[in-house]
Amino acid sequence: MKTSMNLHSTVSKQNISVSRFLHIVLFLLVALPLSSRATDKYTEAMQKNIQAVYTQQTVAELQNTVNTLERIGTAEKSKWEPFYYASFGYVMMANREKDGAKKDGYLDQATTALDKAKALQQGDSEITALEGFIHMIRVTVDPATRGQQYSGLATQSFHKAVALNPENPRALALLAQMQYGTAQFFGSSTEEACGTLNKSLEKFETFKATSELAPQWGKGMAMGLKEKCK
Amino acid sequence: MKLLFTVFFLLMLHAVVAQTTLSGKVTDTKGEGIPGANITLANTYDGTTSDANGNFSFTTSEQGQQTLVVSFIGFKENRRAVTLGTTPLVVAIALEETINELEAVTITAGSFTAGDASRRTVFKAIDIATTAGATADIAGALNTLPGTQKVGETGRLFVRGGDGSETRTFIDGMLVLDAYGTSAPNTPSRGRFLPFMFKGTSFSTGGYSAEYGQALSSVLALDSKDEAEMTRTDIGILSVGADVAHTQAWDGGSVAGKVQYTNIRPYYGLINQEIDWKTPPASIEGIGAFRQRVGKQGMVKVYGNYNHSDFALYNHAIEDHSNTSLYDLTNDYRYLNGFYKTMLNEKWNVRGGLSYTGIKNNTWLNDDNIVETQKGVHAKTVFEGSLSDKVEVKAGAEVIQRNYDQAFDLKVGQDYTLSFNETLSSAFVEADVYTSNKFVMQGGARAEYNSLNQKFSVDPRVSLAYKTGKISQVYFAYGTFRQAAKNEMLRVNSTLSSEKAEHFILNYQVMENNRTLRLQAYYKRYNDLVKYRNADPLQLYNGGDGYAQGVEFFWRDYKSIKNVDYWLSYSFLDTKRNYLDFPQRAVPTFASAHNVSLVTKYFVTPLKTQVGVTYSYTTGRPYNNPNTAVFNGGKTPYYADLSVNLSYLPKPYIIVHVSCTNVLGRDNIFGYEYATTPDASGVYGSRAIRQPAPRFLFVGIFITLSKDKSTNQLPTL
Repeated sequence: MKTSMNLHSTVSKQNISVSRFLHIVLFLLVALPLSSRATDKYTEAMQKNIQAVYTQQTVAELQNTVNTLERIGTAEKSKWEPFYYASFGYVMMANREKDGAKKDGYLDQATTALDKAKALQQGDSEITALEGFIHMIRVTVDPATRGQQYSGLATQSFHKAVALNPENPRALALLAQMQYGTAQFFGSSTEEACGTLNKSLEKFETFKATSELAPQWGKGMAMGLKEKCK
Repeated sequence: MKLLFTVFFLLMLHAVVAQTTLSGKVTDTKGEGIPGANITLANTYDGTTSDANGNFSFTTSEQGQQTLVVSFIGFKENRRAVTLGTTPLVVAIALEETINELEAVTITAGSFTAGDASRRTVFKAIDIATTAGATADIAGALNTLPGTQKVGETGRLFVRGGDGSETRTFIDGMLVLDAYGTSAPNTPSRGRFLPFMFKGTSFSTGGYSAEYGQALSSVLALDSKDEAEMTRTDIGILSVGADVAHTQAWDGGSVAGKVQYTNIRPYYGLINQEIDWKTPPASIEGIGAFRQRVGKQGMVKVYGNYNHSDFALYNHAIEDHSNTSLYDLTNDYRYLNGFYKTMLNEKWNVRGGLSYTGIKNNTWLNDDNIVETQKGVHAKTVFEGSLSDKVEVKAGAEVIQRNYDQAFDLKVGQDYTLSFNETLSSAFVEADVYTSNKFVMQGGARAEYNSLNQKFSVDPRVSLAYKTGKISQVYFAYGTFRQAAKNEMLRVNSTLSSEKAEHFILNYQVMENNRTLRLQAYYKRYNDLVKYRNADPLQLYNGGDGYAQGVEFFWRDYKSIKNVDYWLSYSFLDTKRNYLDFPQRAVPTFASAHNVSLVTKYFVTPLKTQVGVTYSYTTGRPYNNPNTAVFNGGKTPYYADLSVNLSYLPKPYIIVHVSCTNVLGRDNIFGYEYATTPDASGVYGSRAIRQPAPRFLFVGIFITLSKDKSTNQLPTL
């Protein structure tokens, strides 16, 4: 919108006595941004919202972004990324929520959104890792009752995500987190967890995003764990 | 001029493109604003989120006829046509709530439901494994809940003045003919089905759905687990035996097998028992389970169980302790259950099952041999669906066929056989009607035809639930319930009618995160109970009746004290009945007026150990002393038990479990047995029915081998 507005002002300053050639150029100048905006609209909107989901802190802000992502997903119909990031946004909301029942509600919505992403993109390592992340947050609602079941499911998802793409640093970082928590609980060595973490940090360095919209999160979490591994 | 026109045209296009403003307010049907709702112009990116008061506003470049979609979790999606022009649009959107499982009033308030997700459940699946004193027995754990009476010498569930046989167990909707293992007379039996097999447990102490027949007092409905998620091997080394299980999982299915050997002989060698065993109980059990998802929503489950157990003991006569008689029992038990469920379309699903039970009890009483066999087949189909989002319907039909015989091969006298074949055909229909998330009414009826007594019956069931506040609700239920007379009655007189009960239940519940308060009051009327004519056990007729009434209290709190989870149950029971050999209405020997249970669980993080302590108290139970004139006029001392258990996790895949019942060693007396004939001075001799040993100590080590080493058997214990 901004670009085209600038163009208008440029146009309005133009002298009116110009050739037919200019006529066409002008048309192209004004009209092209319109059409190119249409093709790039998806990537542009996604980038903005992905950035938001990564940085927003409050549940209300995140709800707004998640809603936008779901709108994009519903309009696009064939793109998995909007639902993946909507799901991620709900996980972030669950993370910030203290009330157990509400937390579960957000995680249910995260699961619903992720199922939509899964239907569009089967056997994806990133989606599988996020699935494990949802299980991991489920544990925090009631660790005594759920610890066993959901930590098992989380670990299983992370292993599956690594198997699908051994280069996925997020799957490794989450797995390291899980292994570290387990080792700490049992007072056993954190060697295995820190080994997985180091592998994850290496992969963060070498990770090549397959698209502009590929997931980029998780490095901060890995760095945080690195402090504990020292 | 032409250029000017083009520029003007393009400018105008832009001006129009950027200019429609849509604003308004999203509310519920009562006008309360809904924050966070998603407002979308269908098939575009345009839209917004409602603010804290439900207000919203956005601009769009779309034109003409469009669809505005407003959605929020817990409400029905609202779609409306809008025409976008140059003038701003203001719309008011009232969203209608959906009947939603998490928000809605629950019709099952009369039962204790434990599910995997453990959200709005009072009782959790893991509670069965971790309740001290229950020794991982389903009935043992449920016996700490209100509505149950402690009847220590049976191990069964006695509910609201009903005897143990009035509680029936269903697995995936299929009736289990004998849910308890064998045990010596006056010693507690254990449930045949291990808690780890089930993802959901629903224990109803009355007023249950029309789907369940053949239960007078209570229904224990167990939902078996779906396919296993991971391949694993479990090994258990116990103080009373060993078991090994293996589960193979694949995408959408799994198969599991378990072999268990139990031998209590070495334990009884160490700890002196009240019972004069010839050979203490030993059993071998094999379990197999197969699960496969079929299509998108279908599921096939097959479960089979074979158990062989035996024991032998000497009974000492009350009159003369040195006069002994042999009691030798060998039991073979086979159970096979096939279950299928699938969606027919978006609104309807069908489930069905076929189960087979075969039980054989081979008993020797000195030189007399009695062989009791029971074979049962149960076939059932249920259709469930919704007529609208506020009306849910369930309808089904089932046939239960039982063949029973008891063959006597006597050393002295004529051999004979008692037998009966019974076919029960029934159909039921039930509807849940919601007027809102606040009020629901369930109404249904169950029709049954019994081939033995050739009687046709219809039993109505009604329940209503109303949400009085955000976290509180009241519930009322009424129903009539019917159950065929016990085998030992039917084999004498196969024309006996079914026994009948009516339940009236009022329940109030407040439930918030990790805290639950439940108050219940009930009245129950019994009719057609089997009675002896002229005190003769061979002349049976349906002339008995009785009542039970009481109040119950339940409080569970997992919030107030850090790392501590506890619940307190209290039941008051007033019951009398006139059945069997009773000369008039009297309190039956299994009924106790006051029952209290306090269950606590504490996780000691630095020790990686969960400590559980359960205290149970029951006032005395009546017993009949033939030396006095009053029938059932005696009263036993109170019953009390303090049980402790410890679960220690040294490694993520190893659990060490230690439990001890009745730590204080109280000598609980459950009743008195009397001699059949008076002694020389005209007095009937007596003997107290006691616990087989003051304490039961159990030690087990459970190891899980899997690819993922953080898995352990805790939930299966």
